[in-house]
Amino acid sequence: MKYDKDKREIVLGKELNKIDRFTFDFVKVVEKYVDYVIISGYVSILLGRARATEDVDIFIKRISKEKFIEMHNDLIENDFWCLNSNNVNTIFNYIDEGVAIRFARGKIPLPNIEVKFPKDELDKNVFNDFLVVKIPVGEMNISSLERHIAFKKYFLGDDKDNEDALHVEELFREDIDYEKVKKLRELIKIRQNEIRRKQKL
Amino acid sequence: MKSEENKNSEKVFMKPGKTNREDRDNFIKYWANFIKTHSDKEWSSQQRVLIDAQIPE
Repeated sequence: MKYDKDKREIVLGKELNKIDRFTFDFVKVVEKYVDYVIISGYVSILLGRARATEDVDIFIKRISKEKFIEMHNDLIENDFWCLNSNNVNTIFNYIDEGVAIRFARGKIPLPNIEVKFPKDELDKNVFNDFLVVKIPVGEMNISSLERHIAFKKYFLGDDKDNEDALHVEELFREDIDYEKVKKLRELIKIRQNEIRRKQKL
Repeated sequence: MKSEENKNSEKVFMKPGKTNREDRDNFIKYWANFIKTHSDKEWSSQQRVLIDAQIPE
């Protein structure tokens, strides 16, 4: 595994597992229609963490309903299906309202991909702060290491999330920009305060 | 004298943790070190066994 900070890429000559293949097949359809970035647990798994997952989280840029329908139809043609509804209008309404939607492949709902639009500027910035991971069959976009660590440790923060962050820190400690992690931590804190303020209203 | 193959297969031991938390973190560090000291093919074939066994066909 080789991380080139300047090129913002990781070259990974790994033997692909079922989750890698599933995710790669999904994003190859999605990227025909919209920019995407993979976030959260699967980032650590792609980079070698010794655990499986039931879902892979992906942000896609906000797109029109027409474009979304095209993408949905292409996913269906590629044997993916939405766990939330058969009706593409209903599915679009969910994601448009800020609710994550899930896609699986074949008859079994595991694993699945959780797709969402970014909710705020902090989420949107992932599209300016991602890495390309080159695997033997192609490329996938993941959030930057610093963003991954900051969200895992300071936004999600349960045991599994801290372990996912630790895995990435152990692998890339010398290359991680901890000033950037600190700044992201501050932005996350602001968001959490905003969430608490809204909950009190 | 040890053969090259034997050198590569030498076991590296992990420090056990005094608590479950510490032990889990120690293993994560141990596994990350395994990744750093072995080829992508070697570690990923082990990861694949672990993951594929949990995912239905």
